[in-house]
Amino acid sequence: MDAWGKRLAGVRGVLLDISGVLMDSGDGGGVPIAGSVEAVARLKQSRLKVRFCTNESQKSRGKLVGLLRQLGFDVSEGEVTAPAPAACQILKERGLRPHLLVHDGVRSEFDQVDTSNPNCVLIADAGDGFSYRNVNKAFQVLMELEKPVLISLGSGRYFKETSGLMLDVGAYMKALEYACGIKAEVVGKPSPEFFKSALQELGVQANQAIMIGDDIVGDVGGAQRCGMRALQVRTGKFRPSDERHPEVKADGYVDNLAEAVDLLLQHADK
Amino acid sequence: MAARRALKAVLVDLNGTLHIEDAAVPGAQEALKRLRGTSVLVRFVTNTTKESKQDLLERLKKLEFDISEDEIFTSLTAARNLVEQKQVRPMLLVDDRALPDFKGIQTSDPNAVVIGLAPEHFHYQILNQAFRLLLDGAPLIAIHKARYYKRKDGLALGPGPFVTALEYATDTKATVVGKPEKTFFLEALRGTGCEPEEAIMIGDDCRDDVGGAQTVGMLGILVKTGKYRAADEEKINPPPYLTCESFPHAVEHILQHLL
Repeated sequence: MDAWGKRLAGVRGVLLDISGVLMDSGDGGGVPIAGSVEAVARLKQSRLKVRFCTNESQKSRGKLVGLLRQLGFDVSEGEVTAPAPAACQILKERGLRPHLLVHDGVRSEFDQVDTSNPNCVLIADAGDGFSYRNVNKAFQVLMELEKPVLISLGSGRYFKETSGLMLDVGAYMKALEYACGIKAEVVGKPSPEFFKSALQELGVQANQAIMIGDDIVGDVGGAQRCGMRALQVRTGKFRPSDERHPEVKADGYVDNLAEAVDLLLQHADK
Repeated sequence: MAARRALKAVLVDLNGTLHIEDAAVPGAQEALKRLRGTSVLVRFVTNTTKESKQDLLERLKKLEFDISEDEIFTSLTAARNLVEQKQVRPMLLVDDRALPDFKGIQTSDPNAVVIGLAPEHFHYQILNQAFRLLLDGAPLIAIHKARYYKRKDGLALGPGPFVTALEYATDTKATVVGKPEKTFFLEALRGTGCEPEEAIMIGDDCRDDVGGAQTVGMLGILVKTGKYRAADEEKINPPPYLTCESFPHAVEHILQHLL
């Protein structure tokens, strides 16, 4: 398709979503999406700059990278922009002591954070940790605060596991917002600050960067609002109705990361 | 009010209006008797998510109110009616005590979700099941959307936050069946042969009882018992048709002026 040449012209850097693009997570870790291991390798051999930009908040960045390497991906911790480290930075800057509603797998990211006498609530994808009791505890902490602050690592609606689609942290963020009559602060995609810090680490301007993700709102819409281009892959949480989304239109839809990389290597940076 | 017609039906809220928890409002039993001595039809309407009609009835009998089961219309009844009307098989996220009100409804292989106040069901795996049903197009029916309620150990999340979570995740809207929804009041009158313009609602919740009823064309009387707080009557526009001390005063007004 000729149109791709136009759509991808001038791209110098690529931000890759992880879950649903590189792999589908599930019991026992996860499985790579067909062709993605090779696609990442080809991308890294090219002249394009590559960085990983994830909303993964169930695992620490170290565990996530360990899993990816185990699945055969060439990736290191320094190449990954993830919400938990970004949140720790914000907590420190603002003197916030969070009550944590998070998965045990990510707790180690907060080892250096003061969680005594909490003055905010931080929620992440807690999975089974989203029990009534735990969500209610977070609610009670918020209601005790004079100025309730709720920080959410991402605002995703759902994500894909090998067993099917799963409720993501965004649903619980909305529950707490509704219960307390407040607005959460999102750290992670689609927050512009998060994309901007990933771009800075990638080292290219927004108009020279492209995001590849499976989330039409969080990945595609968020990146576009920052002036980037964005492709949606038809893997992970992708649903056919995404291509008719009322508000967000991707710069292109591709079957998987392998196809996206084919197109990029053919057309980008020209 | 030119469009008003002769009064034929009186809808009465339960908790906060006829009784407060386990105590009757003084004089309420006698007032109800006097109301029954007239030609009007009486219905009892309430938002409940965990008490079945049978539970409500037992409490009312204990307080010596003369009420029969078929006169009670609750948000659970409204949910059941909607399930029957849509001919769906619901996944019931309701308190076990509410289950008798869904007796006979098929719930295997569900293709709908009914959600009430059921903390014991509001954990991740169950909500995820509901989420997947909704993504497949199942309708979401909410008994009500209260944000939180008061428990002995402090504030606790109501069904509203969990309904909101599912709405957000699936980009759908729940059908809410309890007060103050219009359909609740219309359903309560169904089978009585009365139009909303021939009915009056008595309750202690200005928005949910009085405002809701007045929106469908009924008159609304706000009583200053139960959850009533000073100046509640200023919360809605148009204001309540009448604000008075308690249920017996409301009945007195009806007998004097509306019949």
